[in-house]
Amino acid sequence: MTYLWLALAFIAAAVVAGLAFARLGARHGETAKHWKAVGIAFAALAVLTAVFDSVMIGMELFHYDPSHILGLKVGLAPLEDFAYPLAGVVALPGLWMWLTRRRGAGAKSNLKGLVPQAVLASRPVSWINTAYPFAAAMLLTTREIDWVLIVGTFYFLIPYNLAMYGINDVFDYESDLKNPRKGGIEGALLQPHLHRPMLWLAVITNVPFLLVLAFAGGPTTWLAVGVSAFAVAAYSVAGLRFKERPVLDSLTSSTHFVSPAVVGLALAGADVTPGLLILLAAFFLWGMAAHAFGAVQDIEPDRQAGIGSIATVIGARRTVRLAVVLWLVAGLAMLATPWPGPLAAIIAVPYIANCAPYWNVTDTTAARTNVAWRRFIWLNYGSGFLVTLIFILQWSLTS
Amino acid sequence: MGVLYLLSLLLGITCMLLLDHRFRLFFWRDAKAAAIVTAVGVLFLLAWDLAGIGLGIFLRGEGTIATGLLLAPELPIEEPVFLIFLVLCTMVLYTGARRLLERLPARQAERERENV
Repeated sequence: MTYLWLALAFIAAAVVAGLAFARLGARHGETAKHWKAVGIAFAALAVLTAVFDSVMIGMELFHYDPSHILGLKVGLAPLEDFAYPLAGVVALPGLWMWLTRRRGAGAKSNLKGLVPQAVLASRPVSWINTAYPFAAAMLLTTREIDWVLIVGTFYFLIPYNLAMYGINDVFDYESDLKNPRKGGIEGALLQPHLHRPMLWLAVITNVPFLLVLAFAGGPTTWLAVGVSAFAVAAYSVAGLRFKERPVLDSLTSSTHFVSPAVVGLALAGADVTPGLLILLAAFFLWGMAAHAFGAVQDIEPDRQAGIGSIATVIGARRTVRLAVVLWLVAGLAMLATPWPGPLAAIIAVPYIANCAPYWNVTDTTAARTNVAWRRFIWLNYGSGFLVTLIFILQWSLTS
Repeated sequence: MGVLYLLSLLLGITCMLLLDHRFRLFFWRDAKAAAIVTAVGVLFLLAWDLAGIGLGIFLRGEGTIATGLLLAPELPIEEPVFLIFLVLCTMVLYTGARRLLERLPARQAERERENV
């Protein structure tokens, strides 16, 4: 009988809340329709409960202490289980009606286009750049696909990028307006009325995953996840704006791509070896070079909007040369890693070749580097292919 | 350890959201209100679960289609996902029923929305 009393207590609370909400929320003549719809919804839910509760109990997902239930059953479902949908359908539609009472049936949704905009803003062509480092780092360490790997890969594939680029586009709106490059493959202008919803979307899609990943690991993971999430926000939010602080901008941007790998290693409990540290350092230098070179093409619009970056501060020519040197050092560093790591040194060559023609670029011709930047986006796919081959070789050598 | 139950729930949630999207019922009608209703509903039902677990009524099964991962004693990680599904299902049914009762098919309502 205990379950019945428990159910009655919660149903009583739901009925009181439902009646109060309906009274507060119903417009003239709406009450009858409201309760009729509640009745229809409950009839459908009761049928679904009878079927699927029986299936779930039959599959041994859960069961009940027999001394606590009445013993009346519909299929395998105890009568008391119908209390859940009943309580939900009595209380929640009332809450909904109350919350939406000020909107007429014809009220225009101000969130129209949020999700397509968010997906466009998150640059789907670059999603793989953050999911791959995580998945590769974790899979090569644990050598098995478990739920943490799947959840983490999904997180770094989509929600992470929604947050990173969504936050960025909200706070970059002004400079993007002056930049014809935005709106296609490399980003999207975000309508101002979507700014606040976009930030909420970033929070809602990221926080649950961050909590799950933190829950799945220990203190090292918490640190790695914390640094990763901080770098995502700090890069562009007002007040921090790391993207406008020369050098710190490239460091933060590189963290966006290296931190997923570090989170993967932390979750997998990888051993810290010199070879692994050199690999991460080389990856980090690669990321800094990529960011610095990417900033060169934006020198003009950034200066017009009063936005600083490594390129606006040290100039186009020195930034390009810095990028070439960083890629060179990254490639050389890979030579110091255990076999088959040195093979990866060759990956630096196409990046240097792509960037070196701009060795003598000036601030006025900086926009022309966009051609190389477009190539860069596709070069990454080629590099990913080579990196994957090296990982497969490493896998077969160590198994 | 199986993921069948979890995947089924996620698939169910996806289907509810597709209906929501197609007919502009819940999240696609008023995302903020829908988020509040979902959060309140899930927390209320979760409190109910915890009370039942505390009283020793609800016992987790050893079904092979569940992951076996627990958030708390007798509370598998699938439970909050199930509750989200239940709330979404409830609200899609209710808002859908309201739509039918008002004899306003989605397209017509949409046109009206755009004309306001």
